[in-house]
Amino acid sequence: MQYQSQAVAKPYFIAAIGLFVGQILFGLIMGYQYVVGDFLFPEIPFNVARMVHTNLLIVWLLFGFMGATHYLIPEEAETELFSPKLGLITFWVFLVAGALTIVGYLMVPYATLAAMTGNDLLPTMGREFLEQPLITKVGIVIVVLTFLFNISMTVLKGRKTSISLVLLVGLWGLAIFFLFSFYNPSNLVLDKYFWWWTVHLWVEGVWELILGAMLAFVLIKVTGVDREVIEKWLYVIIAMTLITGIIGTGHHYFWIGTPEYWQWFGSVFSALEPIPFFMMTVFAFNMVNRRRREHPNKAATLWALGTGVMAFLGAGVWGFLHTLAPVNFFTHGTQITAAHGHMAFYGAYVMVNLAMISYAMPMMRGRTANSAAAQTMEMWSFWLMTVSIVFITLFLTAAGILQVWLQRMGTTPMSFMAAQDQIMVFYWLREITGFVFLLGLVLYIWSFFCKKGEAQTAA
Amino acid sequence: MDKPHKPHFIRACTYIWLALIILTCITYAIGETGWSGTAVMLTVLGTAVIKVEMVASYFMGLRRTRWLWRGIVLGWLILVSGLITIAYFKSLG
Amino acid sequence: MINNPKVTHEIHATPPGDLAIWVFIFAELLAFGVFFVAYAFARANNVELFNESQQHLNRTSGAINTLVLITSSYFMVRAVAAIKQGLSKPCALWIASAIGLGFVFLAIKIAEFQATFAAGISLSTNTFYMFYLSLTLFHFMHVILGMVILAAIMLKALRGGYSAENHIGVETGASYWHMVDLLWIILFPLVYVIR
Repeated sequence: MQYQSQAVAKPYFIAAIGLFVGQILFGLIMGYQYVVGDFLFPEIPFNVARMVHTNLLIVWLLFGFMGATHYLIPEEAETELFSPKLGLITFWVFLVAGALTIVGYLMVPYATLAAMTGNDLLPTMGREFLEQPLITKVGIVIVVLTFLFNISMTVLKGRKTSISLVLLVGLWGLAIFFLFSFYNPSNLVLDKYFWWWTVHLWVEGVWELILGAMLAFVLIKVTGVDREVIEKWLYVIIAMTLITGIIGTGHHYFWIGTPEYWQWFGSVFSALEPIPFFMMTVFAFNMVNRRRREHPNKAATLWALGTGVMAFLGAGVWGFLHTLAPVNFFTHGTQITAAHGHMAFYGAYVMVNLAMISYAMPMMRGRTANSAAAQTMEMWSFWLMTVSIVFITLFLTAAGILQVWLQRMGTTPMSFMAAQDQIMVFYWLREITGFVFLLGLVLYIWSFFCKKGEAQTAA
Repeated sequence: MDKPHKPHFIRACTYIWLALIILTCITYAIGETGWSGTAVMLTVLGTAVIKVEMVASYFMGLRRTRWLWRGIVLGWLILVSGLITIAYFKSLG
Repeated sequence: MINNPKVTHEIHATPPGDLAIWVFIFAELLAFGVFFVAYAFARANNVELFNESQQHLNRTSGAINTLVLITSSYFMVRAVAAIKQGLSKPCALWIASAIGLGFVFLAIKIAEFQATFAAGISLSTNTFYMFYLSLTLFHFMHVILGMVILAAIMLKALRGGYSAENHIGVETGASYWHMVDLLWIILFPLVYVIR
């Protein structure tokens, strides 16, 4: 660790991992409710479990991004953070607000929560992924703006690199597009239309800039390849991401009441969205092959390579699978979407956060890399989590294909619930695989506390 | 210091420019006559293919690079024009 | 070594300009290629509609714009030639002329769009107009992007930022601009002429 203030990242990373555990536990509850519908009813109904599962995911990824930013910006800008204290204040405010929101979800019925938190003043609640009460949303805006102020000031007073520039654009974009969560037209089509401006332009737009910057940073550190080479690739990837991703928003506008031309725009542009992900994979492997040093942190390198491959598979291939309008006519809102969602989020955003944490955590604990034993354990957790997410995706894909076949094709299609009964076996398999994933996660956390072997200290 | 020679690709590119202008005028003339049919379509599309190759080889300078680069553009061109031709024949029923 | 006329006969390992712009160019070709093919197959399913609607396009302005872009592209060839001789000012002048023709293209295109929109035609009018408008609008944006790139290069050339030895930036901009021309060379016959 070159700068003292980089340590601000530590609580962010710890909170991120803690919330990750929560996300997986609620995922397991929900996965069980898929097969045993009244499990934990009425304490935790399915819709609440789902809301907690997805909201925790988003919040912990944000914690990860913010931690990563606090860690990498001082090193890139070659200066201490503008205000480490402000960094810690935003952390605590965000954590408390997030925790209170989750408690709110679990303690009171959603409609009561809405009434309690002033949803009447400006109705923003009740939309998938953006379920947060108005006060939480306002709180998120304040937290993110404070954080952005702190980071921007740090970059302004220090060295300006491509990585910090791309990261800043991504983070500012994240803040700007979140504002659409306050816009809730009563026309249902328009509601969905602008809802995607937050959801899609986050995960298939500005978040990819954050992902690219984080990955580039880790690769520079572990491979020692020239910054110039890595930055050039970063720019090309970012340009492709934005070109395909922005108009690619159209692939969410099929069959929901928007003009027909979106079918063409969405199909063509999103069909090209795998390209930047493919480039990212080639980029990661290329850089590791051209490495100029043998970094002792093998685990971080593994996570970085994994990010490239899994993001390409999950976001690229599984996205392409149902992105063409005529295909989506059948698959819209089926388990195919769930399959894609799981692998894309894991492959792109979970893994890049874990790569960053894996690289930065030992540094913040005063060593270049963890002991060989700890790293072996971490690599086991990599394979357990990655392989189980692949299987979860495959099971959900099988469930989705069967669902489309039974429920939407042929002359006598089944009803939704009858079709669900037929695919129950895949839900069971998915739930069992989920426990393997949890095992991987436990091992990951355990590897931080592994005392065996000798850690490699900085020279 | 001696002045470097005038690159001699200029002359070739000037001829190419002239050819592109003439070919464009031919395409326009065909459009104005309102002719249609397979032969006309193939002529117009073929003209476009030749023009693209001219731009790629001379203006973009791909003829002085490894075949890989030329091949990518040429392959793209053949694929796209080929599919357009197939679609045209499909439209004839 | 520059005096050796054989220099230009050499086979280069990479195309002119930064390799990154070529990755970008190939991606652009792919995107437009998919759109061209989609147009052709959509037409195959609606031949009458497409042939009827196509009659209302202004072929003359489309053809003039082809000539404008081809000439502009040629000017960029001259700009590269100039900088290869170390002539910064003439290089900047050629680029300025290329940009000037870019403005001519935009002006003609805007007039065409104005007439189309004045006739009450929009993306939702029919499949032909959806393709016509989105293909030409998409290309229009590329012309603007190309002009921005050229303008940046022109300013650097004016400041003497390039030389006979170091002119990769000029070649990069020229390659992109040629691509914009190349795409229009297909777009014009495909959408305006072939029936």
